[in-house]
Amino acid sequence: MARLVDITVPDVVRVRACAGDEGARQQIYAAVAPATFTLIRRLIPQRSAAEDVFQDTMMILFERLVEFRQEAPLGAWLRRIAISRSLMHLRSPWRRVRLALDGHEAAELPAGAVPVTAPPLPEAIDVERALASLAPTARAVLWMYEVEGYSHAEIAREFGRSISFSKSQLARAHLKLRAWFEPQGHRPTCTLT
Amino acid sequence: MHTDLEHEHTLARALRELPHDSARPYGWDEFRRRSQPRATHLAGGRALAATVVVAVAASALIIRVGGFVRHPHAAPGTVHHGVATLSHSAASPGSGEESYAERYLASLPREPALVDVGTRAAVATLEDDIAQLDDLVSAARTGSTPPARLQALLDERTQLVSSLVQVRYAETLADASR
Repeated sequence: MARLVDITVPDVVRVRACAGDEGARQQIYAAVAPATFTLIRRLIPQRSAAEDVFQDTMMILFERLVEFRQEAPLGAWLRRIAISRSLMHLRSPWRRVRLALDGHEAAELPAGAVPVTAPPLPEAIDVERALASLAPTARAVLWMYEVEGYSHAEIAREFGRSISFSKSQLARAHLKLRAWFEPQGHRPTCTLT
Repeated sequence: MHTDLEHEHTLARALRELPHDSARPYGWDEFRRRSQPRATHLAGGRALAATVVVAVAASALIIRVGGFVRHPHAAPGTVHHGVATLSHSAASPGSGEESYAERYLASLPREPALVDVGTRAAVATLEDDIAQLDDLVSAARTGSTPPARLQALLDERTQLVSSLVQVRYAETLADASR
């Protein structure tokens, strides 16, 4: 599956979709939905919450498709929407209240939860677990910087914070994850449930 | 032993190599099904919630602008808007708050002004303020912040959450009344 940022859609399909053509919209959905959902789930591990954000993101895509100016691939434009909606969800006080009530603020991954994906390799499982052990903000900053290629300035802008905020969150994430990549004797135990 | 740089490179590579193809979203038909009620709900709910919130805002504006102006038709001792205004002789010297409340009621227009605007800006601002306070509280808890300062932050957060609850509750009432 291609990365979201690299996904393009033929111009004729986009024009038809803008005109309300159902088939064209379905075609665009099929092209971008998997990568979009994967990105959102990296930032929001809980599937139900991720589906809500995904639904919002895709609805915004079709609502604003006429505003897309083709300065970058459609996937890159959609990525900004997906990340923006995900961060909005993470900043929501209602989400924080719910996590506090559930006692999940410290340990984001609830007992019995499965990783975002079901990777076949043990190494990948370890990375999934390590990622899920991070606080939501640190995880989002880490993913945006290391995988999506955002700069600290861009991350700061998305969060509405300073560049030092982005750097400190990234450093904190690296510090916490270091244990997962240390020699086996120092690694925290990890069992699948 | 890995250096910091090696660790970061290893981590970045591991993250990029995570499989992409296992987290499948629902299909087009399900997306369409979920879109319908949400679009209807958002359109109707926003309109009514906005009406309620703006009515509150209009009242606040009236208090701000004309709260201290006595209503021209509200003579002391008469009934206005269903509330009897006390004459000066009947009002006790210490009843400043009551007197203020009467002036406020007398200053209200006969029909509240309703303007239809969205609540998103108010909600987003409150959410942002709360998130910012959360960060400050977290920093205060980990640092050597005096307990009084921490308590002040928590009190401020409580007030903001309370304000947000009121806006959200108004939206709920508006939804229910439709």
